[in-house]
Amino acid sequence: MWRRSASFVLDKRQLAQASPPHQQILLSSDDMEPNNLPNPNPSTDHGISAYYQTRAEHHAVVTSDWLAQAQAAVTRNAAVPEVLPKIAATGGSRAAGSGKAFSVIDEFNYWRKKPDLAEAVAAIMALAAFIRSSEATTMMELEIELKKASDTLKSWDTTSISLSAGCDLFMRYVTRTSALEYEDFNAAKLRLIERGEKFGEISLKARRTIAMLGQDFVFDGSTILVHGYSRVVLEVLKLAASNRKMFRVLCTEGRPDRTGLRFSNELAQVGVPVKLLIDSAVAYTMDEVDMVFVGADGVVESGGIINMMGTYQIALVAHCMNKPVYVAAESYKFARLYPLDQKDLAPAIRPIEFGVPIPSGVEVERNARDYTPPQYLTLLFTDLGVLTPSVVSDELIQLYL
Amino acid sequence: MPDVQTLVNDFVLKLKRRKIEGSQASAKQTAELLRSVVSQQRLPYINQATVLLDAVRAVGEQLIAANPVELAVGNIVRRILHIIREEDLTSTASAMEGLSLSANSDDDDNYEREDHQALSAAAVAAAARSTLRAPSLQTLLEGIPESASAPHPSSSGGDSEGKSKSAERSSRSKKLKHDVIEAINELIQDIETCHEQISEQAVGLIHQNEVILTLGRSRTVKEFLCAANEKKRSFRVFIAEGAPRYLGHVLAKELVAKGLQTTVITDSAVFAMISRVNMVIVGAHAIMANGGVIAPVGINMVALAAQRHAVPFVVVAGSHKLCPLYPHNPEVLLNDFKSPSDLLDFGEFSDCMDFSTSGGSPRLHVVNPAFDFIPSKLVSLFITDTGGHSPSYIYRLIADYYSADDFVVRRRSTS
Repeated sequence: MWRRSASFVLDKRQLAQASPPHQQILLSSDDMEPNNLPNPNPSTDHGISAYYQTRAEHHAVVTSDWLAQAQAAVTRNAAVPEVLPKIAATGGSRAAGSGKAFSVIDEFNYWRKKPDLAEAVAAIMALAAFIRSSEATTMMELEIELKKASDTLKSWDTTSISLSAGCDLFMRYVTRTSALEYEDFNAAKLRLIERGEKFGEISLKARRTIAMLGQDFVFDGSTILVHGYSRVVLEVLKLAASNRKMFRVLCTEGRPDRTGLRFSNELAQVGVPVKLLIDSAVAYTMDEVDMVFVGADGVVESGGIINMMGTYQIALVAHCMNKPVYVAAESYKFARLYPLDQKDLAPAIRPIEFGVPIPSGVEVERNARDYTPPQYLTLLFTDLGVLTPSVVSDELIQLYL
Repeated sequence: MPDVQTLVNDFVLKLKRRKIEGSQASAKQTAELLRSVVSQQRLPYINQATVLLDAVRAVGEQLIAANPVELAVGNIVRRILHIIREEDLTSTASAMEGLSLSANSDDDDNYEREDHQALSAAAVAAAARSTLRAPSLQTLLEGIPESASAPHPSSSGGDSEGKSKSAERSSRSKKLKHDVIEAINELIQDIETCHEQISEQAVGLIHQNEVILTLGRSRTVKEFLCAANEKKRSFRVFIAEGAPRYLGHVLAKELVAKGLQTTVITDSAVFAMISRVNMVIVGAHAIMANGGVIAPVGINMVALAAQRHAVPFVVVAGSHKLCPLYPHNPEVLLNDFKSPSDLLDFGEFSDCMDFSTSGGSPRLHVVNPAFDFIPSKLVSLFITDTGGHSPSYIYRLIADYYSADDFVVRRRSTS
């Protein structure tokens, strides 16, 4: 695959030098650690991104075509989430001697399957469950084990930004609170578990806060362009509608998983006038649009966002026509990444059906997401308040410095 | 109490009739009014801060409603709410410290209980601090739902300690009020001296033989230019006259009196002259949270001209003009439309404005907006009394000056 960015050249070289990733993990860890399962999605070059697969399952109008392709891809790579329990079981039996039959990935997958739960929440839930099952007796030990678990989790699906952001956030919380405030180890441990398990609530509350902040920006008679299926954006628009704001929504179709169909369905149910566009009609309709609303898979350190493929071009068109682009994203999606250009992120591959057979030798761009630089975004609605893109880096620096 | 109410009513009436000119005057008078509200407010023993906050909020709501376009009023109300919260926090924190200290020295046998109490005191203080700060990623995982109510049990926490504390408590009650009034006095001082603070930075920004362009008249700009002049910088000033009020003429007169080389141009000549200009310096009506500026009409045009020729566009404004709100639709919502008599002589145009023709609406309309909205990307630099800031940094200043709970002053009373 052709790449421009220098950092990728380095990555490539590292990959070439190193042995396959899961082997490396096994080398770096001792045998007592059951969580270092062989990565079911080892290389992102061929495997389907687990993150986008789940999203597709949750949000998309799944076609038989899609299923067939996914199935094909799955058998080709032999990297199926369904076989995970088996792997986990073997991992568990291997570790049975040490009395720890717990897999953080299993736990994560269990939470991930719930459609209403964000990926970062699932990650934090899994880590909290890990703490519960951990037999560490000191804070240091617990931290080290937790670090290993979070690294396993992160390497399990490298394409999911909110997964790594969630892990980082929780790890940071653990290191910062730890023994400083609580002298008793067990109390500290309980506190961590409690906070972790409350995180689902925090996430729901965050969504409500964002909806409250965001709906102020929807004014009567406005036309809003939406791209991708975002739960937060949906919540903002629903709240605006329930506050008797009169507005119209234009939904892009959202190829290939047709997120727009489902989004328009949800909006039509609450009585908001919706119009569906094919993805290529964005520039054509932009002159009647008053604002663009998108969600984000991840907000990166520059203040830019990583979101469903097509967000970048919509932002570019909106910028050209001086329309504001608003992003609704929970603050736990802030990730410590600084992509320099589009190719600077590992691509998240997903299947794309074209309806007709593709001639052999023709390559297909199957990346699921793109990077929108901050200069094309107007404001970010987060649970920390309405932010300009430059605030994101400030928040991240405050947390991680 | 009644005399405060008459004061409030007077001020509201003045605001409604637009009798108060300029943000600085409104800011200062608001602060003075709220100071008397605070000083006249009777305080109970517990929950003083809440009572004080409610009183200020109730008055503030009336003031904001009286002239929603004068954002400085709302800013000052929020600043004072923030001051009360801060003072309450410091006083409870110090009280808690004293409490746990005295408890520790009292007796040793029930040591564990006090230990627990000291811990909870620290936790309460931490929680209260986090409510005061804007929410951040750091506090995301820490206890959020409970913390909102944390400050109130802290002031009632003294009750359980018994009679000996009551004297101390009453002194504390006076202290809170005293501290708040002290802080408001400081705020008023700051508003009065903001011009001096801003003009101190003039020498660093204006260089020898430069050409500065401004539009209309702003006191801050005048002082800024004069300060540079006093420091023996020689430079020229172009003044766009600022139709329809022509305050540029007034400014030109004032600057010439101070010995500055001044040129008056029409507003429409801004694009013609901008290529010779080294820097544009203008005043503002308000600075919004995203770095956008609300300024007298015509300045957006100047900003666009400056951008076209890559001339730095500098906005000077006191920190009382920093507004924590985001402009949704600023062209309509945050604007005053003034009398057409500024533009047209009514005697000459009276027949065009005749309501009897063409179905009740005159053929000639006059729109005379007072303000422009300048998006943040057109601004190069803000000079406030705390120094120079880029537009993307404004959010940080706002986080320093206001607490997030106060952004919407009206919310509590409606729900």
